[in-house]
Amino acid sequence: MNDNEPMNFSALDPERDPARWARVVAGARLRVEAALAGRRAPGGVLDMVHAWSRLLLPAAAVLALVLGAAGAVVGGRSHALDRASEARRLAVLTGHSISRGERPTGLQLSFAVRSRRTP
Amino acid sequence: MLNVSRPTRVLQVAMDETDAELVHAVRRGDRWAADRLLERYLRPCRAVALAITGSEADADDVCQEALAVAVERIDDCRDPEKFGKWLMQIARNRARNLTRAHAVRRTVPLDETTPGHSLSPAAELERSELRDRLLQALAAIPEQHREVVLLHDLEGWKHREIGERLGIPEGTVRSHLHHARRRLRLILAEGDTTGE
Repeated sequence: MNDNEPMNFSALDPERDPARWARVVAGARLRVEAALAGRRAPGGVLDMVHAWSRLLLPAAAVLALVLGAAGAVVGGRSHALDRASEARRLAVLTGHSISRGERPTGLQLSFAVRSRRTP
Repeated sequence: MLNVSRPTRVLQVAMDETDAELVHAVRRGDRWAADRLLERYLRPCRAVALAITGSEADADDVCQEALAVAVERIDDCRDPEKFGKWLMQIARNRARNLTRAHAVRRTVPLDETTPGHSLSPAAELERSELRDRLLQALAAIPEQHREVVLLHDLEGWKHREIGERLGIPEGTVRSHLHHARRRLRLILAEGDTTGE
């Protein structure tokens, strides 16, 4: 027989048994729909916040340092030292958070501002 | 309702949108687009899985799983235009994993021996024997030859489509197809002469 002619694979055609194939298709559809439902919807508000936080947190740290330095110039020495210390604690906290891929919580930020020690 | 039927019908129904368009739509959570990809690729996935596992029941499982995994990880598809190639690789990996698992714990799937309901017992027996002979013959040729011959002769894919989706040159596809058919016919003919 000519090797350019297709082989007859009808015995392996999944639709030779329509009921069985319908079950396979239905099963595939269920699995696909479950997979689709399990996917997180992209572009949500949380995704936007998360994306921006990576940029905003370092910027906030720099701003805090600048404000601390400005405070040192404008205010008294002890006040300036306090502000600089706050800024340093905030910068350290921010650096730690970024390295862990997290955002600092409000409690951590509050602690960093009030604490006398680096968090 | 899904319409996963013979290749010609599938081509008529689902060739309007490109793979890339469908992939982007699925990324946005579009169920209709996921259905179109399923219509387009469920049978070819099964053919690739059958080429590797040699078991229809396993191939049925693998093709379902491969589609679900592809949708779940659709963001990992770097080139949406080559979704078919990416999906075939998922199906191939899943089929190999299953084959390895069966090598450890070999069982005969129930569905493999379950007769179809639409044929008489005698006709079903004849078809079952033919199916077994085809599977045995396929097992005797290289895996990539099996994939090519099943995608071409069972699924109706063109040489170019097979080449793109299996990641091999079109000339190699033609060569594999030619050698696969020749070898399969030889094996099946030998079976006939020895009274199998």
